[in-house]
Amino acid sequence: METIKGILFEPVGCLAEFPPEPFHEIAVRLYGKRGKASRSASRSYWHLLNLGGDTIEALEVQAVDGAAIYDDVLPALAELKAMGVELLIASSLCNAAIARFVERCCPHEFDGVWNRDNAEGIKAAPLTRALEGASLRPENTMFLTDTAEGLRVAESVGVNSVLMMNDPDESRRLAMLNPGGGIVSLHELPDFIRLVRAQNGET
Amino acid sequence: MKKISIYRPTTVDEAIQILSQHGTEAGVYAGGTDLLIRLKNRLQQAPTYLVDIKKIDNLRYIKEDAQGGVRIGTATKLAEMADSDLLKKRYPMLVEAIHMISSPELRNVSTLGGDLLQEVWCQYLRGGYACWRNGGHLCYGAIGDNSYYHSAMGGRLCYAVYPGDAAVALIPFDAMVKLATPAGTKELTLEQLVPGDLLVDGRIQSHVVRFNEILTEVSLPAPKPGVRASFEKLRPRGVWDFAMASLALSLQVRDNTIEDARVVFGGIAGRPLRERAVENFLKGKTLSAELGEPAVSIALANAAPLKYNSTKIDMAKGLLASGLAKLHGNN
Repeated sequence: METIKGILFEPVGCLAEFPPEPFHEIAVRLYGKRGKASRSASRSYWHLLNLGGDTIEALEVQAVDGAAIYDDVLPALAELKAMGVELLIASSLCNAAIARFVERCCPHEFDGVWNRDNAEGIKAAPLTRALEGASLRPENTMFLTDTAEGLRVAESVGVNSVLMMNDPDESRRLAMLNPGGGIVSLHELPDFIRLVRAQNGET
Repeated sequence: MKKISIYRPTTVDEAIQILSQHGTEAGVYAGGTDLLIRLKNRLQQAPTYLVDIKKIDNLRYIKEDAQGGVRIGTATKLAEMADSDLLKKRYPMLVEAIHMISSPELRNVSTLGGDLLQEVWCQYLRGGYACWRNGGHLCYGAIGDNSYYHSAMGGRLCYAVYPGDAAVALIPFDAMVKLATPAGTKELTLEQLVPGDLLVDGRIQSHVVRFNEILTEVSLPAPKPGVRASFEKLRPRGVWDFAMASLALSLQVRDNTIEDARVVFGGIAGRPLRERAVENFLKGKTLSAELGEPAVSIALANAAPLKYNSTKIDMAKGLLASGLAKLHGNN
């Protein structure tokens, strides 16, 4: 792995625990999806993206309002920022939802915020725009995700995928997809980047 | 097995020179009970240049010092420690712990230095998985079977437990170590030697020893008056295994009052875990049968077990209760 200079964050499942119900509700209202909501907001969210078309902003904002930001997010982001790592949001949520999330989570930590509105697309589009906006090479960039879909998107863009290992059983399955790495908690991310730097002979 | 080169220096300085020359490609070879297995298992992280320190004369000894303490050369075999009359007399708990390391055959070969600095025995690392300690960027123990050899107290990239017993048993005696470095000798406490997973020379390891440094000596201060100590270890098998949980406990007692305490758990974290909250609780208390329950209730408050290893915390707490009862019974 090359030295990491930037990290792309998908808030859903990587920076906060989102409630799955609003994403399920969107799928029900727009696409007539049946059945119970998944226990994983990340899976519901990425599944929704696969259905295509527009989603409902109000429900996305509702999901953000119900999200519990992980305890380790703020200290980890502050440490990464102090290390000179570019921190970027790259999400398929709408502008209103992401703006609310950033305001709730950490208004001053991110160097760029990309969503499906300003990136004019979902999945790979926010990642690509984030890379362009920060003049980052994909090889020097990580994308944090906790779903198979996220890993595939990272691969398509050429960035290093890092599995957020929230659920051990799901993570064991996803580890078979050969992510570039995996972390249990965001507090490990600064050490991850230091280790890669050291492995590349940098101090 | 990959091709390796072996050097046989006769002095510590010569060994350091060779280690410095080859960087992280080189490793110290003494007993070989950890190193040779890593080579046989074809681990990417295993060294290519082995610096055999067995020919160095002044690393294998157990001797009394002028202050009534004991100094042990790090190339001393564990069996020699287990048979040492001096250690049996001064630090019986340490000898008890050494007897519980591995098998008699392996104790005849393994050295004290090797036991202190051994690599973790995570089945994923030893099985050749590309984990943090083997060239990869993921801890398989955190998401796989972590019932035996993984931390129940959180981790830092790698979630394997520190596997050594000697360090756990030495910390209660306030043992110190000497490190020979290119810039001279460094002295550290044993706790400072094995602080748990950290980045050293671009690698994750449990100890602070750099690629061109050699652990040369462990020293134990003279035993304090009124010290009672015990070591207990729970293993997946009755004999011959690493700890699922262990406890080295020492209490300095005068007139049945605990003046000082050391509580060190093994097998549950990435380092020998000194439980200072319990130590502080015990200080000043009367040693009695009633101490166990409140001590257990405050122990390991920061436990963060993985999916399959919460029993380690129960085991460790059980050891604390039984250790205190044992030392109370030694009245």
